[in-house]
Amino acid sequence: MNKIAPRQLYFFLACIAPLGKLVLLPTQLAHYSANDLLFPAAINFLLQAGIVFLIMLLARSNKTFYDLLVNTFGKIVGKILICIFAAFLFFISFLPILEQKLLVQSVFYDTLPSVVAFSSFFLFSAYLCAKPASVLGRTWDILGPLAIAGMVGILVFALPVTDFGALAPVGVTGAKSIFFSTAYTLNWFYDSAILLLLVGRFEYKKGMAWKSVVFYLIGAAAILFFLAVFYGVYEGLAVRQIFSFSKIGKYNSGVTVLGRIDYLFVFALTLGMAFYCALPVQLGVGCLVDTFGADKCKPALFSVGINLVIFILSILLDYQFAAINTTVNEKLWFLPPVFCVLVPILALLLRRKPRERKVR
Amino acid sequence: MYNFLLTLHTFFMKNITGKLKDDAEALKGLLPAQDILSFGFESEKGLKFQVLFADAVTDKELLADEVIRPLQSYEGGKTAQEMGAAVICPEVRTEKGLEKLSEEILAGNPVLLWEGADEGLIVGTKKVFVRSIAEPPTDVVIKGPREGFIEDVKINTSLVRRRLKTPNLKIEMITLGKQSQTVVALCYVEGTSVEKTVKEVKEKLQKIDIDFIPDSSYLTHYLAQRPYSLMKQVGTTEKPDIFCAKIAEGRVGLLVDGSPIALTLPYLLVEDFQASEDYYVPSYRATFTRLLRLFALIVAIYLPAFYISAQLFKLQLFPIKLLITISGAIQDIPLSPSLEMLLVLLVLEVLNEASIRMPKYVGMALSVVGALVLGETAVSAGFVSTPAIIIIAFSGIGLYAVPNLIEQTSVIRLAMLIVAGSIGTYGIILLTAFILLYLVTTENYGVPLAAPFSPIVGRDLRDTFVKYNLGSLETRPKTLGSKNKRRLKRHE
Repeated sequence: MNKIAPRQLYFFLACIAPLGKLVLLPTQLAHYSANDLLFPAAINFLLQAGIVFLIMLLARSNKTFYDLLVNTFGKIVGKILICIFAAFLFFISFLPILEQKLLVQSVFYDTLPSVVAFSSFFLFSAYLCAKPASVLGRTWDILGPLAIAGMVGILVFALPVTDFGALAPVGVTGAKSIFFSTAYTLNWFYDSAILLLLVGRFEYKKGMAWKSVVFYLIGAAAILFFLAVFYGVYEGLAVRQIFSFSKIGKYNSGVTVLGRIDYLFVFALTLGMAFYCALPVQLGVGCLVDTFGADKCKPALFSVGINLVIFILSILLDYQFAAINTTVNEKLWFLPPVFCVLVPILALLLRRKPRERKVR
Repeated sequence: MYNFLLTLHTFFMKNITGKLKDDAEALKGLLPAQDILSFGFESEKGLKFQVLFADAVTDKELLADEVIRPLQSYEGGKTAQEMGAAVICPEVRTEKGLEKLSEEILAGNPVLLWEGADEGLIVGTKKVFVRSIAEPPTDVVIKGPREGFIEDVKINTSLVRRRLKTPNLKIEMITLGKQSQTVVALCYVEGTSVEKTVKEVKEKLQKIDIDFIPDSSYLTHYLAQRPYSLMKQVGTTEKPDIFCAKIAEGRVGLLVDGSPIALTLPYLLVEDFQASEDYYVPSYRATFTRLLRLFALIVAIYLPAFYISAQLFKLQLFPIKLLITISGAIQDIPLSPSLEMLLVLLVLEVLNEASIRMPKYVGMALSVVGALVLGETAVSAGFVSTPAIIIIAFSGIGLYAVPNLIEQTSVIRLAMLIVAGSIGTYGIILLTAFILLYLVTTENYGVPLAAPFSPIVGRDLRDTFVKYNLGSLETRPKTLGSKNKRRLKRHE
């Protein structure tokens, strides 16, 4: 399997990375900043875009993050640091997986399904995570166009019933609310952490840094437009409309004639989300493989082990989603900036070339 | 005792000795079967000859006319070269080794021996029983060539040679199968095919250790990179025009004696959506039919599964009027939706299997039984609902829109049904994700199975579901990695 191609990386930045922001983020933003929900989202996107640019500068060395850590701190410290980063990835993946679980339970079933219904996700995730990160590029080639089709389809269905006037007057919620809204939704913006682990898995080419930022901003623009449509459709009720992307199109008059044809687009996006949710876990498993080696069936063992732990946690914490959501977003809100902003910035200082051993 | 001594004698004497009696007996000793006949005659000058041949596979009339008659008046020397020049047969070879000569006799080529012979003369008067070249039943066209491969590898290679009159077309004959001695023709265009692929295919063929090869499908197991994969990994065709087009693109082709199905490597999934007729009709028509095939296949795989999951887990998936109709149709059905669908699918598969195997005239009766008794009566008796039969019927037809993938798609459809019946729509999505991941990670001789969609190869997309005009297909598929990139000059 070859390295990730630039086109595949752009597909990730523009089409796959935005998918995780469609499920609960719109409601959370509406909860914290009502009709000003575009501002905190835009701030987070701009911050991430800046970090994406810095990471792409780091990518010029064509070394993986693990290699850079080892070059700078030596093998042992490098391995410890990459394991800490992996732990963060497992942590950050937990909430989107729970989100996904709630989405599946509420959108795909009329009544609450059994545990088995979502458990199969972990089978898929275990299979995906056992594969090296290089397969990602090929999946993005298929998922990218699929995500575009899904997003466009949903927006086309929702636009006729959208009242953009609901977004006005702008700025009434105040700077404080926008600040807290930005901070409390940081948990959804971990794209830079993912990109950091993709460094070295693609061949850096001239101009990739600014192109990546442009593609990331295209994805951001799509999400901002979706948020505007979301608030335009639901207005004051937006705060209660979780999993909005799955129902935002149903108010279209065409649906009464054709049935819930908008579900086709929801299914396409859910397919992409299944890959997106497993992505941090896959990269985390990749970190463990870097640390402990890839011989024999180690990748498969790590993958099954980690997925089993997340699966058990997801069952144990089945009814505590609200508490977890509040804890992660409002109490542990400082964690994502550390790993998604600070670490990538500090990574620029890492040593690109291996240390030369002194010969006595 | 005599037989034992003869075998012992043959064992030590591996080449022609020049003593006619000994040579003929040694050769006969190697082939003790009753259908191996020998015929002796003398020339006018008194030179003794012996012809050994396999009954039924040798054309005796031709042997008499082209070999025996000219030699009866033979007055020349005793070397195999001179003897070869005296017979009228165009296909004459010489061979010293007794084992090789015995193999030729078994292949239908008589061996001529004479007193004082330095070598045996192999005469190509094989009797070939072949059916005539006809349109293959699996790939019928309205426009375009109608010829199809038959079971004889020589005729098949002639069909290829007739279409590719380039000296670069290489046809290498390899014999496989310890007992069947099946001839396999490896065809490729030198300079266009990827050398690495040719070498890899040759190596794989040489490693095959098998007694009997009845059909080319036996080779696919050995040639596939993942032999136990659900997905097809070797291209198949019955049409020489498709075969030639594929090897002209840079693929390697294999013709197997006894099989009308040719193999091509490397294989891309998209190939099976391309029918030969697509290249003989306007591109807009080809695009339409290819998209239709894709649509039919997707509907055939997913429709039964979504129908079940909608009934069991999410009724909202049906439009309200359709929901009313369906609920009316299913209210008295004693079976669960998934069981009902599985039952109808099973009946369809049984009917399908039986209709292929049954004699044609019984097939008519079977259609009546299938359509009326099983369909109409089962519905009126309340065993199954009308929507289930309609959906399975459409699905059954839809799968045949891409007939070369029928083995894979029917299994996927069944898996989708089971998953939909147990987990619902999310199960269908996850199974799709599994298949997608599997497809994009499968490679065949270094070529990704899902190319040119994953990885995207822009130029190669011109001959996929959307087919461009012939003039736009200037280059060979980049995915195959041929060094000879250009195949036509764009007409200005």
